[in-house]
Amino acid sequence: MVNFMTSRYSRQGLWSLFLICAFPLHLWTLILSFRDVSWLMERTNVWDAIGVISYGLAFAFIESVVIFLVLVLLGLVTPRQWETDRRISFLAFLVLITSVWAMMSQALFVWNISLPAPAIEYLRRSSHPLRILYAVCLLVVTPTVLLPAYSFLRTKKPVMVMRDLIERLSLLSMFYLVFDVLGVIIIIVRNF
Amino acid sequence: MSRLNRRDFLKLASSLPLGLVIPPLAKTFPLQPFQEGKKNVLMIVFDAWSAYHLPIYGYPRNTTPNISRLAERAVVYHNHYAGGNFTTPGTASLLTGTLPWTHRAFQTYDSVTEAFVNQNIFQAFKNHYRVAYSHNPLANVLLRQFSRHINDYVPMSELMLTTDGLLEGLFENDEDIATVAWTRTVKKQEEGLEGHSYSLFLSELYQWYQQRKVAAFKPFFPRGVPNIEAENFFLLENAIDWLQDRINQFPRPFMGYFHFMPPHSPYNTHRDFYGAFNKDGFKAPPKPEDIFSDHNPYKQLLKRRISYDEFILYLDREFARLFDYLDSSGVLDDTWVVLTADHGELFERGVRGHTPPLLYQPVVRIPLMIFEPGRTSRRDVYAPTSAVDVLPTLLHVTGETPPDWTEGTLLPPFSATEPQSDRVIYSLNAKDNDPAAPLTRATAMIVSGSYKLQYFFGYKELGEGVERIELYDIESDPEELNDLYAKKKDTGADLLHQLKEKLKEVNQPYK
Repeated sequence: MVNFMTSRYSRQGLWSLFLICAFPLHLWTLILSFRDVSWLMERTNVWDAIGVISYGLAFAFIESVVIFLVLVLLGLVTPRQWETDRRISFLAFLVLITSVWAMMSQALFVWNISLPAPAIEYLRRSSHPLRILYAVCLLVVTPTVLLPAYSFLRTKKPVMVMRDLIERLSLLSMFYLVFDVLGVIIIIVRNF
Repeated sequence: MSRLNRRDFLKLASSLPLGLVIPPLAKTFPLQPFQEGKKNVLMIVFDAWSAYHLPIYGYPRNTTPNISRLAERAVVYHNHYAGGNFTTPGTASLLTGTLPWTHRAFQTYDSVTEAFVNQNIFQAFKNHYRVAYSHNPLANVLLRQFSRHINDYVPMSELMLTTDGLLEGLFENDEDIATVAWTRTVKKQEEGLEGHSYSLFLSELYQWYQQRKVAAFKPFFPRGVPNIEAENFFLLENAIDWLQDRINQFPRPFMGYFHFMPPHSPYNTHRDFYGAFNKDGFKAPPKPEDIFSDHNPYKQLLKRRISYDEFILYLDREFARLFDYLDSSGVLDDTWVVLTADHGELFERGVRGHTPPLLYQPVVRIPLMIFEPGRTSRRDVYAPTSAVDVLPTLLHVTGETPPDWTEGTLLPPFSATEPQSDRVIYSLNAKDNDPAAPLTRATAMIVSGSYKLQYFFGYKELGEGVERIELYDIESDPEELNDLYAKKKDTGADLLHQLKEKLKEVNQPYK
C-alpha cells in the first residue's frame, strides 16, 4: 500500500494538494462568518462573534481533511503513467472548479441574485421548470469541467498553469491554517 | 502519586454499580421535598396554533373533532390573546406572566431580562416537581434560562428523529455558540440562511444524511416528515408516547410544560389527514394586501390554509390520545390540564405565517382550554383574557400564592370576583427594537371590550415619523375588514391615549 501510494504521490505533492483543498473552504467560511459578525455582536458580544468564527474555521479544517482524503483516493484511479505533478495539478483543478461552482450556487442566495424576469416567466409557462433548470445547469457546468480536464490529458500547459496557481494559493492557505490553530486555541479556552 | 493497588481497585469497582444507579435516582427523587396533597399541572402548548382555525370558536372547517369533544369538560376561553405574535415573546409571556415590554424577549432567539431568570412559572411552582420540554429552539432558549428551577429539563434532541447530539456532548460548556457555528456551517435552511452555509460540501452531505435517517417515515407524511426549518425531524406520536410513558414516573405533585411544534410550518400532516379539506368549498374572505405582506397571492394562501388545517387534525388526534390516556390512567383526577398556544398564524392580507409585524386576530388570538380535575361540563368564557393570566391562575388553583411580579390576573371562573369590565389586554411585536432601549419601532395592540386598536410606529415602510392606527369592532367585525378609526374618533383616541400612556410607562426604565 505504501509503495502504491508513493508511486503516485510525493510528500510535497500531498501537502500542496491539502493546501489547495483548504483554500476555497476557508475562504468561503471566512467570507460568510465575517458577514455574520455584526449580527452576532448586536445580539451577544465580540467574544461570542470570535467564537463563531473559530468554530467555523475548525469545521472548515475538518472539511478540508475530508475533501483531501476523497481527492487522494480519486487520484489513485488516474492513469498510472502520469507523473506526480500532473496528478496533483489535475486534482487541484478538480477541487477548485467544484468549489467555484459550489460558491456560485450559494452566492445566488447570499446576495439575493435572481434569474432575469423573462427567464422566470419562461420557466413558469413551461410544464417542467425544474427539469429545464437542471438541464441548463448541466449544460453550463459540464464543459467547464470536461474541457480543462481533457486538456490535462493532451498538453502540459494546464499542468504548468495549475502549478503556478498552487504556489500562489498555498501561501494564503498557510495563513488560514495559522488562523485554524488560533481558532482551536479559542475553542479550548471557551470550553474550559 | 501512589499507584492504585488491587485492593483499592476492587473497592472502587464495587462502588461502580452504585454510581450508575445514583444519577437517575437523584433525578427521580430530588433532594428538596415536594409538597404532597397538591394537584399536578400539565401545560400543553402547540406552536403557531390560531384560535381562528378551531370550530369551537366558529371556524367552518372541523379541524378538531376530538378537542371539540373534550372541550365539553373544559373551561373554554373565547377571547384569549398571546403576548406577542411569534414564539419568543409569546412563550416568554406565558412563562413569566408578564408582557413583552416587561420581560424584553423581543427578537428571535432572545432571552428574558436577568430579573426573570428567578421570576418565572418554574420558580413559582417551587413546591412541585418541574419538568419541561420544547420542540421549538426559540422556546428552548427560554427554558435553558429557567433551567435552574426545572428539575427535569428534557433536551430538545430527546424527542427528535435527527439531532446534533454529538455537538451538544462535545462542547457542553459552550453549547450556544458551538450550535450557532454548526448551524451556520452545515444547515442551509435555517432562519436567516436560506440556501447558504459556511461549508461548501459538508452541508450537502449533511442534508443527504438527514434525509436518509427519516426515509422510513416519508410514506406516512406525503408533504414531508414534520420538521423544524428542514432540519430536526420529529413525530408528534413519539412525543405523546414518551409523555405517556414518563408521566406516571414524575414525583407528585408535578408541573409539566410541554411545547410541541405542530401546527407550525412546514405544515406536514400525517397521511391520514392529507387532502381532508381539499376542495371542500370553504374560502376565507379576501382581504386587502398589507404593506408588510410577503405578497402571497390569495389562491396560494387558500392552499396553505388547507395544509395548515390538515396539520391541526394531526395534533387534534394526538392530543386526544394523550388526554384519553390521562383519563383512563387516573392522572386527570388530580391534574389540571392547560391546552393553549404561544401565538397564532396568518393566511390573509398577502401574509402566510407570523413574521410580519402585524397583530391581526388570527395571529394573536389563541386557544385556551383548562381541564379542571373532576369537571364534567363545559363553561365558556367570553371576557378578553391574556396569556399572562395563566401563570397566576394556575398558582391560585393549586393553592399557591400568585407572585406580585406577574402582570396577569386570575382567570374567570377561578377568581372570586367577576372580571373587571374595564380590563384591557395588550400584545406587542417589537422584533426590530433593541430590548435594552425604549420602544421606538413596534406594533402594539390594545383590546378593550369589543374594540381593538393596532398601533404601528417607527417603521420606515410607513415613512419618516408616520404612524399607522387601526380600530376594529371585533365583535361585529371579527374579520377586521372595517377600520373604524376615522369614524369612531372618541373610542380610537381613548384607546390610543391608554396605549401611549402605557408605552410611556414601560419605556421609563430604559430612558
